[in-house]
Amino acid sequence: MLELLRVSKQFRHSKAPVLRDVSFTIGDGEILSVLGPSGCGKTTLLNLILGVLEPSSGSILLNGDDITAVSMRKRGISVVFQDFALFPNLSAYQNIVYGLHNHPDASGKTEVDELIELLDLKPHLQKRISELSGGQKQRVAIARTLVLKPRLLLMDEPLSALDGMIKESIKALIRKIAQKYRLTTIIVTHDPEEALSLSDHIMILHDSKVAQFGTPREILESPADEFVERFICRQLYIKRDNIMKLFEGVSAREVA
Amino acid sequence: MRQVREGNSAFGLTEQRLMFVAVAAVMGAALIIPLCWVFETSFAGPGGGSLEYWVSVFSKKRLLRVVGHSFTVSSIVAVVSTAIAFLCAYFIWACRFPRIISQLFRLVLLTAFFLPSITYGFAVIYSFGRQGLITSLLGKLPFSIYGFNGLLIAGTVYCTPFAFMLLQNAFLYVNRNYQTVSAMLGDNLLRTFWMTAFRPVAGAVCSAFLLTFFLNFTDFGIPSSIAGRYEVVPVMLYSYMMGAIPDFGRGAVVAMLMLAPSVIAVVLLRYASRLNFVSGSASASSDMPVNPLLRICGLAFLMAVCLMIFSVLAVVFVVPFVENYPYKMNFSLVTLKRLLSDESIASSFRNSVWVASLTVICGCALCYFAALLSKRSVLPRWAGVLMDFFAMLTNTVPGMVLGVGFMFCFGGTFLMNSFAILVLCNIIHFFTTPYLMCSDALSRMNRGYEITSALMGDSYFQALRRVIVPNSFLTLCSVASYLFINAMVTISAVVFLCGAHTQVMTTRIREMQYYERFDAVFVLSFLIFVTNVAVKIAFDLLPAYIPALRRSLRRRREAAAARAQ
Repeated sequence: MLELLRVSKQFRHSKAPVLRDVSFTIGDGEILSVLGPSGCGKTTLLNLILGVLEPSSGSILLNGDDITAVSMRKRGISVVFQDFALFPNLSAYQNIVYGLHNHPDASGKTEVDELIELLDLKPHLQKRISELSGGQKQRVAIARTLVLKPRLLLMDEPLSALDGMIKESIKALIRKIAQKYRLTTIIVTHDPEEALSLSDHIMILHDSKVAQFGTPREILESPADEFVERFICRQLYIKRDNIMKLFEGVSAREVA
Repeated sequence: MRQVREGNSAFGLTEQRLMFVAVAAVMGAALIIPLCWVFETSFAGPGGGSLEYWVSVFSKKRLLRVVGHSFTVSSIVAVVSTAIAFLCAYFIWACRFPRIISQLFRLVLLTAFFLPSITYGFAVIYSFGRQGLITSLLGKLPFSIYGFNGLLIAGTVYCTPFAFMLLQNAFLYVNRNYQTVSAMLGDNLLRTFWMTAFRPVAGAVCSAFLLTFFLNFTDFGIPSSIAGRYEVVPVMLYSYMMGAIPDFGRGAVVAMLMLAPSVIAVVLLRYASRLNFVSGSASASSDMPVNPLLRICGLAFLMAVCLMIFSVLAVVFVVPFVENYPYKMNFSLVTLKRLLSDESIASSFRNSVWVASLTVICGCALCYFAALLSKRSVLPRWAGVLMDFFAMLTNTVPGMVLGVGFMFCFGGTFLMNSFAILVLCNIIHFFTTPYLMCSDALSRMNRGYEITSALMGDSYFQALRRVIVPNSFLTLCSVASYLFINAMVTISAVVFLCGAHTQVMTTRIREMQYYERFDAVFVLSFLIFVTNVAVKIAFDLLPAYIPALRRSLRRRREAAAARAQ
């Protein structure tokens, strides 16, 4: 379980805080999507949880332990970046087991094999990173973090570099992993559709503050303010209307 | 390119054929024929085709000794300057200093680009010699400054900025997320350094090593001033060609030998680039905190490097402004005034500026047309491949070898000792970089410009004048600045070709050495420096004052910002 208590962050040279009084709780195996426009503090929040940055005030608790002052290396939290940050001089397999050089007890061979099976990476293990597709790279990056059995998984825009069918398969995979390993997962995204279809909870950030925190249904049915309504619902309505118009156009042409 | 070919195969075909003939003729006459001439001369022998010159050169112990000297000093200079440059680039990247510090450091290093290599030798003599600036501060050095030691110091100061620029550019594309991943996966500091800093730029490190080796191996300026009895290949070539008894046959053999490491270096450079971690765009900023100890070490190291460069080059900026260096060190403009009123110095200054300006005009045209034929032409593909081949070949040929080729090819003609031959030699010598710059700009440009112009009723040349060239102005400014500065500082390319009336400043510096007029050496160097800085600033500021260029500049910045995001 991850708990943030009134976490704020202000950089030394900036006038206004990047995050103000952010508080939320998510349980084991749950998926939280952090949603918001560019510059609202999503990545800063990720860096605070990861331990790259220290909050200016507030506390971060993981499974009841206060980890606010614990260094990144000791938190046991993993991250998958948007660009995957895979080492291109190593093969897919070498990337996956990279962390085991430093933590040999984290996973046994059977567990690694099981993970490779789960992520359907067996045919690609000896390939170089440049030979992998976007979806395969994403799965290698996920495997690399899961090998170390993290207490929490952070994902920065995990689906933005992927398209169509691959996006859907990775979504399903993220859900499967969260359930199988009871791994609490936080996903940063700017796509409402992605957040609604993937998460147990959604947190919308606006102007450095939490605009709304709730389940996808709560957010769709009762947006907290005009921004949430505009940011989430209108985007979806516009998409829906465009699709409907497209259908109507097709039907009209068929009739004609 | 395919679009232009397929969509509008006839547009500009005749014009491009004419351009192709012109460019190929120039490159053939000024690159291929001179090189063939060097090759042919080395095999000529007194009684026709033979290996006599080769056997004669190779049978002498002198060759082995000289090549050994060149390899030793160039290898050590390459290792030292690459190591220094890597650490500088690493510290700037890893410590994320305020912008002003990295800009200041770049500025100090840029100084080195504006001075000819021959100045470095003299600067080392005047800094570390018996009456030198550094000797007076630190006391007498325990080693002689002439020969190996001098070559090592001057070579390192000369080559480090080139290696630094290459490595700093490589670091721009290193993914900073590697640092987070490495820490997250439990790497220790050494492994983090290896995986996130060194390994991603390993290719650039190899390139920097090869570049500095090649630069030092083929440079004539530094050894001509400071090598003493420690003979290296360029000095040997010069002594064969311009010695008391010229020996062109053996000179041609040495020129061919000089070509070999350059060819190897260029081939290896292509492989070295594959070692880099490829990243499509400049790396985003990182929130990872920087270790304060690393910052202190980094700052101290950068300051030490600046001090090293500045202490060697300070003499260039001191001598023109004191009464009589090193005896009367009071500030005075007497030396500067006296030497500026010297007609031989004033004429070489005029000649240099004239040659550099003509190099800019003709060089921009040649490089641009060659790039146009390669990247936006309707000619068959082999025409573009041929242009690329010319670029690769010019990159491989050292300036001195080209000069020897010109000497053989144009000796005895009206071109010898003329400004035209100097301009031509400079253009061919510095062809590669401007060609690549133009190629890059032209290949990024919208593919439909020519077709759109054709549909609007423009002829091909009108399309070039009204659309293509104006959209390449920024690149042409950079190319012009590059050509001017290099034409001002080169000595290797022109040392065999200058006549009494066409002496440029770098060759005049060499001449002043014989008369032991070292004050003139530094005043000339200072003049080259000031002119180059003025030209660089002028070309850098030009886009800001011309509306069309300002728009291009804004578009380019926006595109760069979008790529970085």
